[in-house]
Amino acid sequence: MKIIRLLSITALILAAFSLSACTHGKKGAGGGPGASDSDYVNGTPLPERQEGVSFTGDNTDRKKFTPVYFAFDSYSIASGEHGKIDEVAAFLKGAPNTLIVGGFTDERGTPEYNRGLGERRAQAVREALIQAGADGSKIQTVSFGAEMPADPGSGESAWAKNRRAEFGVVR
Amino acid sequence: MKKIRAFCVFASCLVVSSSLVHGAETPTITISKSDKQALAIGTISGPDGAQVARILQNDLAMSGFFTLVPAASSGFVVNGTSTASSLAGNVTDRSGKAVLSKTFNGTPRGKVHAYADEIIETLTGSKGFASSKVAFVASHTGHKEIYLADADGTNVHQLTSDGTISVGPQLSPDGARLVYTGYKSGYADVYEIDLASGSRSRIIKFPGTNTGACYSPNGHELAVILSKDGNPELYTTSAGGGFPHRLTHTPGVESSPTWSPGGDEIIYSSDDHGGPQLYRISAGGGTGRVINTGHNYNTEPNWSPDGKKIAFTVRDGGSFTIAILDLGSGNVHTVASGEGPAWGADSRHLIFADGASLILLDAQTGQKTTLVSGLGKISEPTWSR
Repeated sequence: MKIIRLLSITALILAAFSLSACTHGKKGAGGGPGASDSDYVNGTPLPERQEGVSFTGDNTDRKKFTPVYFAFDSYSIASGEHGKIDEVAAFLKGAPNTLIVGGFTDERGTPEYNRGLGERRAQAVREALIQAGADGSKIQTVSFGAEMPADPGSGESAWAKNRRAEFGVVR
Repeated sequence: MKKIRAFCVFASCLVVSSSLVHGAETPTITISKSDKQALAIGTISGPDGAQVARILQNDLAMSGFFTLVPAASSGFVVNGTSTASSLAGNVTDRSGKAVLSKTFNGTPRGKVHAYADEIIETLTGSKGFASSKVAFVASHTGHKEIYLADADGTNVHQLTSDGTISVGPQLSPDGARLVYTGYKSGYADVYEIDLASGSRSRIIKFPGTNTGACYSPNGHELAVILSKDGNPELYTTSAGGGFPHRLTHTPGVESSPTWSPGGDEIIYSSDDHGGPQLYRISAGGGTGRVINTGHNYNTEPNWSPDGKKIAFTVRDGGSFTIAILDLGSGNVHTVASGEGPAWGADSRHLIFADGASLILLDAQTGQKTTLVSGLGKISEPTWSR
């Protein structure tokens, strides 16, 4: 961290960072020294919301696809989870449906940070769907933080089920 | 020496003790500051006089500035005449001279809190918090809802009853309005409640998650976390939620902005480099600079009204602790287990959540008081100034 104060090498670091910043969705990816000084825009802006439609609404099917699970305090998509994303991307390419990705955390963080982390997970999944060929203008996100746990228990087995992004398919 | 109860008339009294031992070269002189003033509740007349006296005594004791003593030994005596809607206050010094004489109007409790704050400001120069409001999230209905209470923990009432998720409340500095994150629409939107009328508006409803809204000190702007551009980032908006101006551009998660007292800077939490750290940025934009706290997980920062300190939540191991950063020295110390600290108007007291309790902490003495309990898990307290 100290290194960011060294003005003499800031330019070098910024140059290095701008090259590494193209990796996506990894917590800390491209986050070398000086990253906070850089202009990092990796997200794809969200489309306008559809009126009368929401992740928790009756017209949204949250069971159609398996959730993507995350490691503790991470929004990086593990390699083993990519198959789920490819499946959803393939579905979206061939169907008229829109999608709402809901992001969730386990109970161990503070509430506002958890809402941000859940949103970051949903956005990471949305970005991966776009990378896999899905149309981003059909994909909305929402975070519930640590609310609405899949498993209300405490302990690693419950927490692992709760660190997730769910696919809400709008019928 | 801190505990010395010198019945002195002024806030700073010098206690001079000399140890005069036989043959000692130079007397040792200890100069100490007694931080409590002696005060007595005198006569409070009127039909609700006894209740007024109780509330007043509690407010004054809670302020941390006074030792309540019998009138005979006191420097200052607090008197009053209470009617249904007003309280004529009169404070005299040891010589019987009035140092405060003023009439307060308001609700049965409100008029007393106003009197207490006037006494505190007159005798100490510090702003009191007796008239301020606290709000917090509680879960006992089975849903997270927002509650409002007086700063002494009384007058608790439930503000939201949506049966969904209502979280992240922030009171305006003047206590007239409250913003929070509500999921009534199925999305995370920012709502604002006018507390006097009870009217509620959904003021920020961009695509994605809209959360973490916090009023600027003058109440004209909000700092807020929006994800509409593809990632949770820090923005400022007008008080009504319009004209979003983006401040951060990071791959990480920004959260929990808090304003400097002058409104020119914002401190927030970001996990751009691993665990969430505190960052400081100009409210106009620019680059967020990390603040080294020595902890790996730093969230929920809250800037003191005097501008000198940041209270925040750290996680060490599996539990949360309240920490205070002194901005002048950069020193950080932990003060209690709990989460979600918020400073009071005096920049001395904090409220925070600890399980099912809303706790008031005198950060100067370490004294803790439970303000609210019995409403299930409490989280995310906020305090007007």
